[in-house]
Amino acid sequence: MSAAPFALDVDVSVALGTLALRVRLASECRTVAVVGPSGAGKSTLLRVLAGVERRATGRIAVAGRSWLDSASGAFVEPWDRRVGWVPQDDLLFPHLSVRENLCFGATDAGEVESTAELLAVTPLLDRRPRHLSGGERQRVALGRALLTRPDLLLLDEPFSALDRPLRIDLVGRVRAHALENDIMLVLVSHDEGDAATLAEERWLLLDGELRRI
Amino acid sequence: MHTRKHSRAARAGLIACALALAVAVPAAAQPRPAPDGDEPLLVLAAASLTDVLPEVARLWAASGGAEVRFSFAATSRLAPLALEGSADLLISADREWMDWVVERGGADAAGVVALLGNVLVVVVPADATTTPTGLADLARVDRLALAGESVPAGRYAQAALAAAGVWDAVAPRVVRGESVRSALQWVARGEAGAGIVYRTDVAVQSGVRTAFEIPPGLSPDIVYPAAVLSGAPHAARARELLAFLQSAPARARFAAAGFTLLGTPLSQVAPSGPASPPDPGSALVLSLVVALAATLLGLAPALLLGRVLARRDFPGKTLVTTLVLLPLVLPPVVTGFLLLSLLGSRGALGPALAVAGISVPFTLLAPVIAAVVVGFPLYVLSARGAFEAVDPRLEEVAWTLGSRPRATFVRIVLPLALPGIAAGAVLAFARALGEFGATVVLAGNIEGRTRTIPLAVYALLESPSGGGAAWLLAGASVLLSLLALAGYEMLSRWQRARLEERPR
Repeated sequence: MSAAPFALDVDVSVALGTLALRVRLASECRTVAVVGPSGAGKSTLLRVLAGVERRATGRIAVAGRSWLDSASGAFVEPWDRRVGWVPQDDLLFPHLSVRENLCFGATDAGEVESTAELLAVTPLLDRRPRHLSGGERQRVALGRALLTRPDLLLLDEPFSALDRPLRIDLVGRVRAHALENDIMLVLVSHDEGDAATLAEERWLLLDGELRRI
Repeated sequence: MHTRKHSRAARAGLIACALALAVAVPAAAQPRPAPDGDEPLLVLAAASLTDVLPEVARLWAASGGAEVRFSFAATSRLAPLALEGSADLLISADREWMDWVVERGGADAAGVVALLGNVLVVVVPADATTTPTGLADLARVDRLALAGESVPAGRYAQAALAAAGVWDAVAPRVVRGESVRSALQWVARGEAGAGIVYRTDVAVQSGVRTAFEIPPGLSPDIVYPAAVLSGAPHAARARELLAFLQSAPARARFAAAGFTLLGTPLSQVAPSGPASPPDPGSALVLSLVVALAATLLGLAPALLLGRVLARRDFPGKTLVTTLVLLPLVLPPVVTGFLLLSLLGSRGALGPALAVAGISVPFTLLAPVIAAVVVGFPLYVLSARGAFEAVDPRLEEVAWTLGSRPRATFVRIVLPLALPGIAAGAVLAFARALGEFGATVVLAGNIEGRTRTIPLAVYALLESPSGGGAAWLLAGASVLLSLLALAGYEMLSRWQRARLEERPR
């Protein structure tokens, strides 16, 4: 395949109970925001992209690599996707320290310190997740995903536990980091303002369909 | 509003009815007091007399005697009741318990009569191809079933084998049941090639036949002492009954049932040898070994099944769950019986096990298997709960971080579920320590091999001299159980703390 770098090419159908999604998304941008009311299926879309929701059919290609192609039966497992998924509930591993969480999938343990610095969690490295605040936990979860050097980073309502100014500042730094490191970013938010500030391209997920806005 | 008032009235009516019933039922259950002098006699009698004594009582009634009520049970259960003061006559199956009653003032030593005797016989399965003709032949049977050494029949049999000079030869083949009846059962089921039981027991058991009677001189005299109790409410008529039991018509009935007739004062009968009570230390060690082995053996299957039940839906899941939980609610004796039917030498899997050289009944395997089976439901339930408590999305996140499912299980799921699994192991261990019913059926009651704490306590309660050791083991049981429950509570807390997600 000779797709341009940073190309996101998605054409999938998902039917889960009452939720039916038919999503076509093709973008040359590095930062894409998906907005929409809660319950529209934004998180499900991210789960499909991450590969943890297997009940999707269609096609997903990221940066020229095919992750899903139902026509040929191809499915790349999540552990082979080079995808960073930061779910809305941060889902830190509760039995591991912050440092151990960050190291869990890190390709280079030497980057742990600098990533912790970037996300302002350095003083927390030796704590357990249960001793962190909501915002701290979300930053650690993001750092954990970044350290795997993903091709695609999926952010589900990032830093929802933080006030808006702090949130914009942090996501801005993350976006800069992503751009520097050739990481594509798909961001899900219910706040159009956030999306407008942080993404080059905005899509609206409504009634099971995705539209460019 | 109206309906509520209505239902309140209805409830009040129900409560009134329940109260009326609660008052009325016990009153109705009380037997109307008999007119003075017509109250029936209460006779406490050894279980082996269940069939013959009511017949004799009818003879007595026909010749003008009073009405008699019987309470049949193992002598070890009856002796304490004899001291309560409401029974008139005690007929014990051995003199040790009668001595115990006399020592506590329950009966007058001079009034104790050696009423009946019994004879030991060697029995073989009804379809046995060879029939032993002497005690020496018993060294050639695969297994020899005896009653436990604290039960008179077990002591008498051992004494007879020793007197015949063959005890050392047969000892390795001896398996002991907790009573004559269980020894008889094993012979009937073919688990033992021969057994030594009372002559009077053979008639009531199908599937066995008598090979020969053991000459009376070889064992201490087998005596059924009888005495009018000191607290007898109807002492005069009880003495009449005791006299009738020694009369010619009664003796004819006893003889027909296979008893020998004594009718002499007990003091003229030679005492039997001392009981050899179970060794509490060996029971304690064996119990710990069995419980530990069962806990370790159950670990892998419990993990596997717990994980599958927690995370997978498949056809027949309800059936599998029900089958796994069955031993939790099934009477343990039934579990033991089913296991024996499955794993015994004549069981469904018996031949296959024999080919593999594995023998389950009476070996150390038997209590371990019984403990695994009864403890397994608790194990699986705990493991399942522990796995269900781990958020599946943690696994999904781990996958996107490059961790494959097996590595994810080891690095994330297992550590998070570990305290819950350990709590299940502790419960299974505790359940294994307490296992009695299934073990006694499948494993017998063999010192050092299958006699765990509960079996030893049971055996000790059969013997009047077993009290001290029984208390020792009871104390050990309580201590171990408390420790296990405390451990369970600690592990459960740890599990909750480990999964705690929210900041404090």
